[in-house]
Amino acid sequence: MELLKRQETWNITYTHALGETASWFFVQLRDHAKLYGKRDAKSGRVLVPPRAFSDQTLEPTTDWVEVGPGGKIETFSIVYEEFNGLPPPPYAFGYVQLDNADTAIGGFFKGVDLTDPKAASEKLRIGTRVVTKFAEKRTGDVLDFWFEPV
Amino acid sequence: MTVKAKVGVIGVSIMPRVMDDRRSLEELLFEVTRQALHNAGLTIEDIDGIVVAGNDQYDGRAISVMAASGSVGGVDRDILSTPSAGEHAFVMGALRVASGLYRTQLVVAWSPTEVGSMSEAQRLAADPYFHRRLPLDELSTHALQASAMLAAVPGLEAMAEKIVAKNRGNGAHAYPDLASGELAVAPQRWPLPAGMAMAPVAGAVALVLASPDYVSEHSSDVAWISGMGWATEPGFLGDRDLAQAPALQAAAEQAYKAAEITDPGTSFEVAELSDATPFQELLAYEALGLAPRATWSERVADGSFGANGKLPVNLSGGSLTLNPVFCTGLIRIAEVAQQVLGRAGAHQKAGVRTGLAHAASGPAMQYQTVVVLRRGEQGAAS
Repeated sequence: MELLKRQETWNITYTHALGETASWFFVQLRDHAKLYGKRDAKSGRVLVPPRAFSDQTLEPTTDWVEVGPGGKIETFSIVYEEFNGLPPPPYAFGYVQLDNADTAIGGFFKGVDLTDPKAASEKLRIGTRVVTKFAEKRTGDVLDFWFEPV
Repeated sequence: MTVKAKVGVIGVSIMPRVMDDRRSLEELLFEVTRQALHNAGLTIEDIDGIVVAGNDQYDGRAISVMAASGSVGGVDRDILSTPSAGEHAFVMGALRVASGLYRTQLVVAWSPTEVGSMSEAQRLAADPYFHRRLPLDELSTHALQASAMLAAVPGLEAMAEKIVAKNRGNGAHAYPDLASGELAVAPQRWPLPAGMAMAPVAGAVALVLASPDYVSEHSSDVAWISGMGWATEPGFLGDRDLAQAPALQAAAEQAYKAAEITDPGTSFEVAELSDATPFQELLAYEALGLAPRATWSERVADGSFGANGKLPVNLSGGSLTLNPVFCTGLIRIAEVAQQVLGRAGAHQKAGVRTGLAHAASGPAMQYQTVVVLRRGEQGAAS
């Protein structure tokens, strides 16, 4: 028999409150091109991205600590699939532990020729030192910064 | 925490791949429920409570239990739902029977492929502050985990290829009709080569759980849950060491303590492990105490975990054969239950008394669940 399908598209807008901690982080990023983490006083770990509390100790975090711009690659991937709102593939992204931080933050890698993924993966090898670069026009978003191998 | 839950699995229905559009999602859930009830030898009237697991983003229905309740017998009955993982519905159902307040539970999970992009649907799981702007679907997180593991363990690519071949070989034997033909290979993420993860398929699974009293009264064949553990890793990927699986170790410790298993390497006749990628199966060998990473190469090469090895892993073919994403974890548990019950069909191993199931869900195996199942003679608690 003839089997029918019904297609639906939902386009719903959400406006998420960032709260004080993420707001301060993104304002520093936008206005001063600097990245910060927050210290979990109980464990002493500096958490990046910053959060108001530690999900390990369930205590509020305390002081802000400037992190980066240097760091090292914790892990990476090269993406060949198109995503909404992201640059055309291929591109590389992953996680970097910035200097003075105890956890890694996600971001894009640039400055690496991705034509040959094997060669690119050597340049993005885990443990590789990177430096954070900042966009000239910043909006207070994760896309305001990216990492390049030193 | 040790859960000493005296709970049995008495009925199972696994639909690891639904290939046609003959049924709507609600009709599919009706069918998998009816099959599980039939397999357990009871009717919906015998069911005291229901726990379901669905993913709203995949279903395209807000609060998917609203759509499902009618299909699984939830109308005017006790029904709860969880959106975290199919295996969590199993844990909740088992705990409800263990509480003594229920004699039976029906557990159902499903995973359709009706969304235009599974990847975009999965991105909704990332926080909207720091990570939503990254291409963080589950496949990307599995690739990030593979990168971390490749850096930590030399020679891992060759082992991964052998695991893919093992599981696909098992899958071709277990589900020849479903595992053949136009199974798309998932889109590439470096360092995952083409074929090292499967594109999603639609699937559903249902189990019937029962108390010792019920099992005894009805002389049911039963697979007893002799141990169960579950644990979760941090939500931010950058907080985790992706080359380790501490939550799985914690879940295994809980399950083994309850099941009084001291040497996991020699305690099971079959195992079903989560294998969204072969790297995850390898990581599970270690965290479950089956093989530390220093021995992976040797154990993979000597076929220890092959169909004829000491401990066959993923006789069903695993997710590397058929990948109904959201219910693949609960299917691992259901497959082991079938083996212990002696109802696994083409891929039944003879003489299974004790089986190990590992269910992982979420980004790079964030949610980890371990279940040990033991054969019980008719009505007898073992």
